Amino acid sequence: MTRLAGGLIDRSQTLNFTFDGQRYHGHAGDTLASALLANGVRLMGRSFKYHRPRGVLSAGSEEPNALVELRTGARREPNTRATTVELFDGLEARSQNRWPSLGFDALAVNDLLSPFFTAGFYYKTFMWPKAFWEKLYEPVIRRAAGLGRLSMQADPDVYDKGFLHCDLLVIGGGAAGLAAALTAARSGARVILADEDFRLGGRLLSETRTLDGAQASDWISALEAEFESLPNIRVMRRTTVFGVYDHGIYGAVESVSDHLPEVSGRVRQTLWRITAKRAVLAAGATERPIAFADNDRPGIMLAGAMRAYANRWAACPSETVAVFTNNDDGHHTARDLAAKGVQIAAVIDARPEAKARGDYRLIAGGMVTGSRGRLGLKSIEVQANGRSESIECGALGVSGGWNPNVHLFSHHRGRPVWNEPLQAFLPGEDGPVGLIPAGAAAGHFSTADALRSGARAAQRAMDELGIAASLPDLPRAEEADYTVAPVFHVPGKKRAWVDFQNDVTVKDIKLAHAENMRPVEHLKRYTTLGMATDQGKTSNVTGLAVMAELTGRSIPKIGTTIFRPPYTPVTLSVLGGGDTGRHFRPRRLTPTHHWAEAQGAVFVEVGQWMRAQYFPRPGETHWRHSVDREARAVRGAVGLCDVTTLGKIDVQGADAGEFLNRLYCNMMATLKVGRVRYGLMLREDGFAYDDGTCARLAEDHCVVTTTTANAGLVYRNMEFARQCLWPELDVQLISTTDAWAQIAVAGPKSRALLARIVDRFDLSNEAFPFMACTELTVCDGLRARLFRISFSGELAYEIAVPARYGHALIERLMELGADLGATPYGTEALGVLRIEKGHAAGPELNGQATALMVGLGSMVSQKKDSVGAVMSRREGLAGDRRRLVGLRPVDPAGNVVSGSHLFAEGAPRKFDTDQGWTTSACYSPHVGSMIGLGFLENGDERLGEVIVAANPLEGESSRLRVVPAHFVDPEGARLRE
Amino acid sequence: MLITHPLLGLRDAQEFTYLGDARLIDRPAPSAPDAEAAFCDYVFLRDNPAGVHRELWYHEHGDRSWLVVTRDTVTHEVLGAELARNVALARTRCSK
Amino acid sequence: MSDLRPITALGAALPRLASFGALEIRENGGLALASMALRRGTVEPTPFGLALPGPGRWIAGQGVAALWTGLDQWMIEAEGRAELDFAAELKQLAPGCSVTEQTDGWVAFEIVSRAGTGPIDALLSKLVNVDLADFGPGCATRTGLEHMSCFVIRRSEAHIAVLGARSSAGSLWHALETAAKRLEER
Repeated sequence: MTRLAGGLIDRSQTLNFTFDGQRYHGHAGDTLASALLANGVRLMGRSFKYHRPRGVLSAGSEEPNALVELRTGARREPNTRATTVELFDGLEARSQNRWPSLGFDALAVNDLLSPFFTAGFYYKTFMWPKAFWEKLYEPVIRRAAGLGRLSMQADPDVYDKGFLHCDLLVIGGGAAGLAAALTAARSGARVILADEDFRLGGRLLSETRTLDGAQASDWISALEAEFESLPNIRVMRRTTVFGVYDHGIYGAVESVSDHLPEVSGRVRQTLWRITAKRAVLAAGATERPIAFADNDRPGIMLAGAMRAYANRWAACPSETVAVFTNNDDGHHTARDLAAKGVQIAAVIDARPEAKARGDYRLIAGGMVTGSRGRLGLKSIEVQANGRSESIECGALGVSGGWNPNVHLFSHHRGRPVWNEPLQAFLPGEDGPVGLIPAGAAAGHFSTADALRSGARAAQRAMDELGIAASLPDLPRAEEADYTVAPVFHVPGKKRAWVDFQNDVTVKDIKLAHAENMRPVEHLKRYTTLGMATDQGKTSNVTGLAVMAELTGRSIPKIGTTIFRPPYTPVTLSVLGGGDTGRHFRPRRLTPTHHWAEAQGAVFVEVGQWMRAQYFPRPGETHWRHSVDREARAVRGAVGLCDVTTLGKIDVQGADAGEFLNRLYCNMMATLKVGRVRYGLMLREDGFAYDDGTCARLAEDHCVVTTTTANAGLVYRNMEFARQCLWPELDVQLISTTDAWAQIAVAGPKSRALLARIVDRFDLSNEAFPFMACTELTVCDGLRARLFRISFSGELAYEIAVPARYGHALIERLMELGADLGATPYGTEALGVLRIEKGHAAGPELNGQATALMVGLGSMVSQKKDSVGAVMSRREGLAGDRRRLVGLRPVDPAGNVVSGSHLFAEGAPRKFDTDQGWTTSACYSPHVGSMIGLGFLENGDERLGEVIVAANPLEGESSRLRVVPAHFVDPEGARLRE
Repeated sequence: MLITHPLLGLRDAQEFTYLGDARLIDRPAPSAPDAEAAFCDYVFLRDNPAGVHRELWYHEHGDRSWLVVTRDTVTHEVLGAELARNVALARTRCSK
Repeated sequence: MSDLRPITALGAALPRLASFGALEIRENGGLALASMALRRGTVEPTPFGLALPGPGRWIAGQGVAALWTGLDQWMIEAEGRAELDFAAELKQLAPGCSVTEQTDGWVAFEIVSRAGTGPIDALLSKLVNVDLADFGPGCATRTGLEHMSCFVIRRSEAHIAVLGARSSAGSLWHALETAAKRLEER
């Protein structure tokens, strides 16, 4: 009988589940592991390297063996511990790492080949012949390597995140954690109590020891009711605090619906960022096994886990069990299981002075030296007092002592400290600020000690925060001393497992020692002990103990590796915070977006913005059809383009002009009211980094524009200059990028079109010349701003209205401009037009170009200082002879490829003969061929020369003629008409 | 990480953008005879202490203030923060 | 008066309104906004009789309100005046200040709870890293919300306003709606 009486399961709820296709049933409150044991299933997986049959070792999140695959389809997920899977009706689970089946795994041949797979084998094998590595060894190893398989489909589940703040975070809801939470909650402080389990209570749920003479679950229920009634405590079950970050910030994952049958769209897990003024680490302790020959058979588990299965889950792996222990705790397993009708074959206690705690056979001073039963334990070999015997049993509970769960305490690189009497590592002095260990995590193993320690830790935390907290009445509980003998492994010839998940044995540690990999960091990496997903929770200390023995030094001298977040594995999806696909990051839409959409525009992502790229018309089958047409429309009639995305910064104050003078490399303080000036900004190292315009609306009021990409950066730099460099200047800044819809109206008919919307405003060339600006009203009274600036080289303006009117404005302009041939154009045509004009933009001002290179060297004023001016004159930059030029293919049908590198004709294509590169390229309807812009060594002195543009990655090159960068209206007559 | 904003109290460091050494407030005089050398040092040279460091943070998703934060680069402890503007004003007063 | 018709930040003719359990989220399309920054040597004005709030605070008056946005800088709100040139009006009342129109720089969502502070606090805990113990009525902050920089104003126990960049109105609505819907789920 593997299902016992009692336990904390709800037998009124029967749940059906499958494991490897077989149907079973369990009850509410079962985990997958407990339900499998109750159904007589001991074989649950195959080990990583050797594919040895394995059963469950533990009853908690430290489980190294029983890793299963859950769910199907896109939700299929590998490597879940069966011990933490809350059973639900319809659960489908499969074992992993075996083919074709769990019972017969062909790769178990690895076990026979184990002498070739010892620690560090990959440094010594598969080396010869050299060619075989890439062709044979690596592909084969790759197929066999890894643990678990991915669905290879996008994760369809929904994840969420949230932020919490509290005075005290209690990590762990066992005896110490509950006492701490109670103490702090009653003081009125804001408390969060988090436990990874679906029930509060920790180990109290697995023990039969009483609190105040009654069942522990009674006391727990009473506390839960009190917590419910208090508004200042938040209880979070199924919530693992996985990491300790700076300044009291903790990361936690709450499993919201992992335990529920799938409901589409429901949040599966939530990532919580908890900011806590103080925290209590009541994370408990984890039992460690004793290593002996063939100690990894299904049915061999931790004694405490065996007890938990019996007491909490009413499940037992076998009718007849034995116990192997080096401390008193192992005896509790024998006693509790006997009370439930399980046969105790024997308790083998390594301590010769051990005494029996009940009516069972005790073999004092004995050791387990072997086991039999490949697919499930059948018997164990025991040696005692010079004699050996074989004892039949289907399960063996092993207790090698308890390790406080110090993991979180070392997340800030604090080293745990060895405690000789407890034979365990305890939290040291240098843990994360504000984190107080308590209970078993701090080495207080008895229930009474744990309760007191938790309450005191909370009181200390409250005291540090200036909150008065009194110790609550705590229930009477057992206070047994903990005595443990330092027995970590049984010497022998056959392999004895230390790290179950990575298949590391005592033999591997001996090999590491022999090869001088002795310091703990080397031991770990050479053998991979402790490097599996369980971070060595059941193996680290044993590994250190073996190495200590081999080197003749003490365990603390070997040291310890520390732990990093996450405490237990966290799915990447929940770390992503929840938004995927289109909502992964915010989208910014322009004021005319919906209008453009209605026109059938094709959009392109420009940073976070969606911009209309081009507006295809019926019949146009290729984007070039649309883009060429749009560019021609601008040069021949009038085009409309939403340029709202370019950064706009409002600059006001008595010293606005002087301030801008120091930010732009060119003179800006002299800009007159009602005028706009093109401006170039340099980085302090002398390189050009952004260009735009500055419009002076009033003596103390300017509007600065930036490129779309640099809007945020320029604003940040301006605030830096304002606050940190020149705080004495009277200047105020604010961004107005979103506030104003800005539409470019460009082309020979642009004046005519605008005349139809401006309210009584003289747009003539005399009254409103090139580079003028004004505030005015349009369409009978709507406030607007008009700037006569041109990116295209045509007669052009930009009109700005409050953003909510942008949609209506472009509709009106299209309506009124129909007879003029008004045409919307997008970013592609915008690019073609500016390349034809020779206007530098992002591809030219890429952070590697100076004003000199772009042909704007004379813009850097010598008469006043500005950011970057001094450094722009340094030899390295001043002596750079690369200049911006235009490029035309010698063959009119030839290509110009952006990014191609420029060489003299006949020169070899090498680093030291490289003379520049092509920065921008497009088809020019105006010229009738591809054109480009680029930086060329001495380019300004080589006009007319034919050079070669090479694209070696694609094996192409073309012959280009060096021409002036202005393909359209080089005198700028159209701009000024 | 949390930063104690002098006006707003404890704020999430994710609201900020980090620039670097607070020395960047001390922009050299452009008209000094050794200006280019001074600017080279200013732009390219930096101390990188393991320990207490005064550094510039910009409260981008907040009040847009620049702060000089004193932080231990080893323990991440934030020892204090002040408005960079005040630090800069104190400098100008001193140099006058 | 111009016959050009405005659209809302979400691109519609009328402001959006939706309910999620006890929470109602309403786009406040009529809210006028203007930034006001003190110039050197200017005494703090009291536009519309408002005593300007200190760091982290918001103060309401008659149909107007002010929130602190930076050193010597505030955002002034005016209910229902979005169609007017509110900045020009404010400039008259705050001579010696740099006043900038901000109405269409932002989208404002008013979130009201029919069941007290509980739903409001639950919603905020999903969206912003703000200590709710320090965020009672009269508090206002600017912080990150789903990668957007937003103002969050606690107008009263059961009423907050979230202001985000107008261009990302759709993303902000999505964030608020998703969080509110999920609260309903639980």
